[in-house]
Amino acid sequence: MILRILNRIEEAAICLLLVATTTLVFIDVVMRFGFNTGFLWSQELTLLMSAWFVLLGASYGLKVGAHIGMDAFVKLFPEVGRRILTGLGCVLGIIYCGLILKGSWLYLKKVKMIGIGMEDLPGLPTWIAHGMLIVGFVFLTIRLLVILWAVATGRTDGFKHADEAKESMAIVEELKKGEDKI
Amino acid sequence: MTTACLFILLFGCMLIGMPIALALGLSSIATILMFSNDSIASIALKLFQSLAGHYTLLAIPFFILSSAFLSTGGVAKRIIRFALSIVGHIHGGIAMASVMACMIFAAVSGSSPATVAAIGSIAIVGMVKAGYPESIAAGVIANAGTLGILIPPSIVMLVYSAATEVSAARMFMAGFIPGIMMGLMLMIVIYFVARIKKIPCQPWAGMKEVLASGISATGGLMLIVIVLGSIYGGIASPTEAAAVSAVYAFGVAIWGYRDIGPLKNEPWRKDGESIVGMLVRNAIKCTTALPKCVIDKDVNKVLLDASKVSIMLLFIIANAMLFAHVLTTERIPHHLTEMIVEMGLSPWMFLIVVNLLLLAAGNFMEPSAILLIMAPILFPIALQLGIDPVHLGVIMVVNMEIGMLTPPVGLNLFVISGVTGHGIGWAIKSALPWLCVLLVFLVLITYIPQISLFLPEFIDKMHGY
Repeated sequence: MILRILNRIEEAAICLLLVATTTLVFIDVVMRFGFNTGFLWSQELTLLMSAWFVLLGASYGLKVGAHIGMDAFVKLFPEVGRRILTGLGCVLGIIYCGLILKGSWLYLKKVKMIGIGMEDLPGLPTWIAHGMLIVGFVFLTIRLLVILWAVATGRTDGFKHADEAKESMAIVEELKKGEDKI
Repeated sequence: MTTACLFILLFGCMLIGMPIALALGLSSIATILMFSNDSIASIALKLFQSLAGHYTLLAIPFFILSSAFLSTGGVAKRIIRFALSIVGHIHGGIAMASVMACMIFAAVSGSSPATVAAIGSIAIVGMVKAGYPESIAAGVIANAGTLGILIPPSIVMLVYSAATEVSAARMFMAGFIPGIMMGLMLMIVIYFVARIKKIPCQPWAGMKEVLASGISATGGLMLIVIVLGSIYGGIASPTEAAAVSAVYAFGVAIWGYRDIGPLKNEPWRKDGESIVGMLVRNAIKCTTALPKCVIDKDVNKVLLDASKVSIMLLFIIANAMLFAHVLTTERIPHHLTEMIVEMGLSPWMFLIVVNLLLLAAGNFMEPSAILLIMAPILFPIALQLGIDPVHLGVIMVVNMEIGMLTPPVGLNLFVISGVTGHGIGWAIKSALPWLCVLLVFLVLITYIPQISLFLPEFIDKMHGY
């Protein structure tokens, strides 16, 4: 139950960031063409929100299988081989996250020590704005650990990859349903 | 040594099935740490900057969002009806109309598999009913569907401009004439095939039907007009045009077409309702629909789907920028260029190599991933050889189109096989004859740069540069 609520919050946060970014740029365009004015802070805020959107979403994408990858080679192996290779992939992924986390930590610590603020968003220290690096990559590490555990216990044998062809079939389904009604 | 390490790590990681974003990131960071003096903190900063430092990149999530709202079966039906009313009466008219519908839907959705799925599931059945062999119907749609990435606005072109910093607006101008040209080439071939096979044609439906279907398709058509008009006219940047088109698509989908969202199944006019009653009812319903969207299942699903695709692309791009950073600091493209110049390779020979390389890569990887890996390498070489970057971009996109029709990663083939219920082998066979048209087109695009460069240069002249 708690997991489901957390899941909803994650999805809502991601959607909200996308909607907010789009709306902000749209309002900016309307302001510029309609009233010949604009907000000084809007561009920096949109860029910041889009970065948060991706950092927060990267781990979510891993969970729902939104990332793309190649599975042609892995499929050549029997199940044990696939599990070993995927496990190796997870470990390498965790190393990647670890490196980025270490780098982010050092970088953020320095920025906080110097006390740099954002350019057009006064009052927002850079280390908080860029702190999403840590949050996003900690989430990503956790998700990779979850997959690693699932591989170790034999519940899965590969990364879930996005399949644009399969997703497009949703439109076909929709059209078929419509025909039945008529 | 550095180069070998970078590429072995990258391809190794990709082969074991790691998500491409992680593979790019890990191989780049590992190479930086092993071979250069950059601190790890600077890599983290670089990654954040590639996520938050490119305003043009924002066009990608916005266009994905707008296409998610309008890539519905309902929109496809309206566009097909419009196309049929215009070219349906010519020999091979239904197939031509399907190509035209693919071109329009491609511009609205910006995605090839979605175009094949939406147009294909209606048009293939229609063509078979009208007397076309099913393999011809499927082949036409599979090929015309690839236009999704060539006709602007196209996501793949935005990815190319992200990888090379070529202006996205210019890419959008460059894709227009080639896109129309390829559609026309397909239509001409269809005309002769229909003549030879003696396929009956439909009667001319009349101007009234053209107008009626045109108005019903306006919601989709206007999107193209708004986006291309504002970009070609120099009024708005692609990012701003994309944001406007996303809001516009939301409005059309929710209030206009009502295929999804809280107003679904709510007719514009009920039987026997007075005009005033209709206006009042619609006004109230439209206002109350807006807050309802927050909890509406359809709207939430569209948002989440668009988020997933955007995140996937933007995360790959961020990591690909680290990769491009390594390439530049290690001067890898520079060394390659020197090698090529020493070999005395002329530009046209280089372009053959590019085509073969991309066609081969297209068999194994997704278009955006190929572009992000190959473009930073090929771009500096092409520049050195005097090839226009915009022209190179169009060549790469056309190659990606062909990649969508070749196994094992031919997305369009999978969709065709899903739509028709036949196997992949059948889908390949049906697409093959039409693929030849695409290959001829690729040769034309590669060796006549004016096809791609005419419009951007013409518009530049108009603006007085």
